[in-house]
Amino acid sequence: MMRAVVVAATLLLGVGAVVAQQDAVKHAQGFMKGNGKNAGALAAMIKGDKPYDQATVDTAIAQFEDTAKNLPTLFPESIKGVKAEGDYSPSPKIWEDQAGFSEHIASFAKAVADAKVAIKDIDSLKATLPVIGKQCGGCHETYRVKNS
Amino acid sequence: MLRRIILGLLLAGVVAFGVYWSLTATWLTSAVATDAAYTPNLANGQTTFNAGGCSSCHAVPGQPDRTRLGGGLALPSPFGTFYVPNISPDPVDGIGRWTEAQFVDAVMRGVSPSGFHYFPALPYDSYAHAKRDDIRDLFAYLKTLPPVSGRVRDHDVPFPFNIRRNIGIWKWLFMDDKPFAPDALRPAQWNRGAYLVNSLGHCAECHSPRNFLGGIVASQRFAGGPDPDGKGWVPNITQKGLSDWSAKDISYFLETGQTPDGDTIGGSMTSVIGNMSQLSADDRDAIAEYLKSLPPVDGPSRPGKAASDSGKS
Repeated sequence: MMRAVVVAATLLLGVGAVVAQQDAVKHAQGFMKGNGKNAGALAAMIKGDKPYDQATVDTAIAQFEDTAKNLPTLFPESIKGVKAEGDYSPSPKIWEDQAGFSEHIASFAKAVADAKVAIKDIDSLKATLPVIGKQCGGCHETYRVKNS
Repeated sequence: MLRRIILGLLLAGVVAFGVYWSLTATWLTSAVATDAAYTPNLANGQTTFNAGGCSSCHAVPGQPDRTRLGGGLALPSPFGTFYVPNISPDPVDGIGRWTEAQFVDAVMRGVSPSGFHYFPALPYDSYAHAKRDDIRDLFAYLKTLPPVSGRVRDHDVPFPFNIRRNIGIWKWLFMDDKPFAPDALRPAQWNRGAYLVNSLGHCAECHSPRNFLGGIVASQRFAGGPDPDGKGWVPNITQKGLSDWSAKDISYFLETGQTPDGDTIGGSMTSVIGNMSQLSADDRDAIAEYLKSLPPVDGPSRPGKAASDSGKS
């Protein structure tokens, strides 16, 4: 009886760990998808599909700030090696090169803080969004891998 | 009787050898050597350099300068690993001593100065459609870039693909060396886009499936397929895959690397964006207009993905 309880408890713990792992991945993906949606909304104004709207800019900047704040804890060691659902997974380099990863996060946070001050109208948006985009791309290039 | 059979066999052998020899010879040498003296347009040479994506493969890997063309990048493929050569103007290790005619032959015909076939890892089957003057301007532009010393190691291509003469057969089977012909019924911008995509931009080289001999499957041109380097999938850029991208979305993507859903592009397209972002906005718009005109074509289905999703992501 005791043995059965122990086995069941271990299994439950194992299941719990896997669930927690997937939740952590989903949590990180939620931030990234939110960033994408907001970057897309800003790009739509640059392309002229939508008129310039400061509220949209403020929402986007708030989302980016939130991401920058959360990034240091968004990829716990427990999800290393997990293949995420969707097109991309976190690269093991996030944990192998923690200093480099932290540097990228700091650099992204700075670009967002600068953008918050800089973006006032369509021209400053045009000048600033690519700077943030480079931060996204620069980090993805190293710390994100395509699922094959 | 026996003598006749032997004679017949010998004759057939000679004919077969003759056919093989002529198919695999480097016939396609250009006549540019006899052209009149030419005043190159360096600005157009730079545009050709950016549109042609030269630096994506030839720039020294692991450093940010797109104009240090010392080569060395390893290009894995199903036929072996190619090591990209030095095309900087270095007189010893690069192309510093090449003539313009040799350069045009190399880029547009895939023939080296010493007369052997290059592997089609150099996309000369696309560059063959380029305007010769664009390539001559490119040559002049490359001469203005910094010389980089250092010879790159030989390709690591196993038998039988390492027999250079056989590339002549590949060319005969798959290479179309007709110059680009504009479509008079289409606007100038569309024609500029068609030219950039099909010749210099060599988009079809990665964005099309290939057959077992490494030739592009013509009926599925631009319909995507497995990544040539063996990892992941190259998207379908016909209207099957890009129907929900506007022409503006494509232009903006080529300039910034940002997709309409706000994601940033990764992988080998990153350096392509590095080139495309240097082009004029007009050229990017032209590419977008042409791509929007490509009829939807189903590509090969991506393993592990739902059929409805095969053209995307």
